[in-house]
Amino acid sequence: MSEIACPPARPAWRLALPPTLRPVLSGLVVPVLLIGVWQVIAAAHVVAPYILPSPAAVLARFRVELAGGTFRGDVVASLSRALGGFATGAPTGLAFGLLLGLSRLAGRLFGPIFLAYRQIALFAWVPLLAMWFGGGEAGKLAFIALAAFAPAAVNAWRAAAAIPAPYRELSKALTLGRLDHLRLVALPSALPGMLTGLRSSLIHAWLATVGAELFLDIAPGLGGRLNEGRDKFEVDLMIVALTVLAILGLGFSQLAATAERQSLRWRRR
Amino acid sequence: MTDALPDRSDAIAALEIDRVGKIFDVAGRRVEALRDISFSVRTGEFVAIVGASGCGKSTLLRLILGLDTDYQGEVRLDGRRVKKPDLNRGIVFQDHRLLPWLTAEGNVAAALRRSGLPKSERRQLVAEHLKLVGLENFADAWPAQLSGGMSQRVAIARALVNRPRFLLLDEPLGALDALTRLRLQDELARIVRHEGTTALLVTHDVDEAVFLADRIIVLQPDPGRIARIVEVNLDAHRDRSAPAFLRLRDEILGTLGVRPSPRAIATAA
Amino acid sequence: MSRLATALLVPALLFGLWSVSAAQGWLPEQLLPAPTAVWDALAETAVGGDLSADILISLQRVGEGFALGALAGLGFGGAIGLSRTLRALFDPLFLLLAQVPPLAWIPLVILAVGIDEAMKVTVIAWASFVPVVLGVAQGIRDVPEPLRELGRALTFDPWDLVSRIVFPAAVPAIFTGLREGLANAWQTLVAAELFASSEGLGYLISLGRQLFQLDLVLAMVLVLGIVGLSVNGALALVERRLLRWQAPAS
Ligand SMILES: Nc1ncnc2c1ncn2[C@@H]1O[C@H](COP(=O)(O)OP(=O)(O)OP(=O)(O)O)[C@@H](O)[C@H]1O
Ligand SMILES: [Mg+2]
Repeated sequence: MSEIACPPARPAWRLALPPTLRPVLSGLVVPVLLIGVWQVIAAAHVVAPYILPSPAAVLARFRVELAGGTFRGDVVASLSRALGGFATGAPTGLAFGLLLGLSRLAGRLFGPIFLAYRQIALFAWVPLLAMWFGGGEAGKLAFIALAAFAPAAVNAWRAAAAIPAPYRELSKALTLGRLDHLRLVALPSALPGMLTGLRSSLIHAWLATVGAELFLDIAPGLGGRLNEGRDKFEVDLMIVALTVLAILGLGFSQLAATAERQSLRWRRR
Repeated sequence: MTDALPDRSDAIAALEIDRVGKIFDVAGRRVEALRDISFSVRTGEFVAIVGASGCGKSTLLRLILGLDTDYQGEVRLDGRRVKKPDLNRGIVFQDHRLLPWLTAEGNVAAALRRSGLPKSERRQLVAEHLKLVGLENFADAWPAQLSGGMSQRVAIARALVNRPRFLLLDEPLGALDALTRLRLQDELARIVRHEGTTALLVTHDVDEAVFLADRIIVLQPDPGRIARIVEVNLDAHRDRSAPAFLRLRDEILGTLGVRPSPRAIATAA
Repeated sequence: MSRLATALLVPALLFGLWSVSAAQGWLPEQLLPAPTAVWDALAETAVGGDLSADILISLQRVGEGFALGALAGLGFGGAIGLSRTLRALFDPLFLLLAQVPPLAWIPLVILAVGIDEAMKVTVIAWASFVPVVLGVAQGIRDVPEPLRELGRALTFDPWDLVSRIVFPAAVPAIFTGLREGLANAWQTLVAAELFASSEGLGYLISLGRQLFQLDLVLAMVLVLGIVGLSVNGALALVERRLLRWQAPAS
């Protein structure tokens, strides 16, 4: 996050670049080198092309997928699954977490069993949900929603339970009613934690989407394409799908970070 | 009870502190913060409380506000025991305790939630009080953008905005520079006189106490109890360098265990 | 009511509801087997089958993968945390790769190293590597400037600066990374075993699904919870010992 206060002296040649471009360029050095090595290896035919296709072949596959194939449909299917599960699981998780954090009774009743539930690895639920909801769309959405639920709940719970005592005292001193306390003190104080929860929840929804597509019935989606690539031994297709997954994941984190900055304006100086 | 009020009747005492004691439990150890504190405050009076750090000044204010009802003895307002905070008593906490997610304006307005006033009137009151503390140009600033002294001024505006009968001030000018401090002392004296507010001021600054108060309660630590109560029989408009002023100040410093400097004695003489 | 009684109230109610539902046959057995059936399945795998062998193989996979990933993560995270140049070079690529959910690598890794132990350990190692790198690098970068200044005032050499000031101050963040890495390793293990395995807890779960034996699935879910709890508890114990100087969070 914050860089060290005084930058060390730099070599003069770096001053020629505009400062905004410098991090972009230095970040490109290693990837470009790696792609170069990859190209050399592929061109030298050290490895069979079906195991390591050349960068050009991957790029060509990318074009083909974008132009003709089902790829756009796959991306849309994965995205809408992830967002659908997130839109169900995350708000429920926030509400549940806030209830646990704001009401001592609810915290004592539901807190321990929720913590116990959290110990079970997420993917252990896949077979159960598949049997309850089927391996189709309903099962996938249920799994993604479940994945999005817990991070939102945990963070909201922690944040709502940790409203600083001085603020609670201030609420009493100003004789705020329950609603005003919630609106002016409790929710804003818990907001950073809730946003952290939402971000984590989004990441988990994305992870669960890929998992659901890999483990449950075949359907359009990026996970399905990965499986297809494995079955048909098409490494170029898998690299394309992984790249798109990375870019979409990056987009999600940027989105979450922007939303967080926007709603926490009061923290900025 | 208070032996310092020979010539005034107790019948008009608005606030009575009657043999109040408070014991904290710190890690299984009993810490006696206050012992046998008794005094009363008449309507319109300005009382200052001075004493060493940790002698229970903030604790006493919290009891008077009604934030803590677990103590020995009784705090009475108009003859009735104080049970919980209400808008008759405004407080400026020692830490300014602004809500960081509300603007300066929002923080002051939060105190008016329970006033029952119409919106337009509230907005006007907020603006007036921000002007009163010289922050009319910072209405939209977040607390993170204010200096420590500015934050304390917002807190003072928040305490005043309900026109409380009692103003409880816990070192409200502690974080201010010497100049602003002097200016705000004048301001405080004017406001209190103008609004007819009864004020209870905790301070470390004996000059401030002598300048503002009609009566000074000197506390001594371990456990916190009253060392003595001093009447300030000076004019309403006090001269900070008048011999009578300095003599009284040195007397109180003596009670607190500080020997006045020779220079101070020379000026006083 | 005591705290414990309150905590047990909801689980007891749920269990009661489950028992009644099973006794009354509200739901078909394929959807919700009776508690007794789950207990029998658990006892059967524990006594007749080789549950302990499956637990051991799962733990071994997590152990190997996590050890590998965490060690590599400490090294790489330390490097990009301490050196601006390395950070500028490697951070963007790493961040991009870190965006891919760990289990999405499984199909590709299967093609590269086959479906056996190497695949599981590789994927688990990568899954623990990512949070450890993030935690270590962030922890080092967030060491307060006043502390570094203190080191300069005491004329520490770079080694002393790192070992006496930077590293200890970063330990809490490093542990956050390690804890997340372990959690990720555990999640990924189950996913990998579910996907392709012939032994281990995840395998037993997927076996239960294939045989339509929901009692076996539920029993293994229970075992997973208990093992996960013990592993997390062990790490928390280590952490408490190393972070004794920190005031307990209230
Ligand atoms: N919530 C609490 N729990 C335990 N002990 C407390 C608590 N609040 C105050 N005390 C103790 O009561 C004593 C008085 O504290 P208090 O804050 O009232 O002092 P003070 O006179 O306001 O000091 P200062 O001038 O430094 O603000 C101290 O010994 C403190 O440790
Ligand atoms: Mg105090």
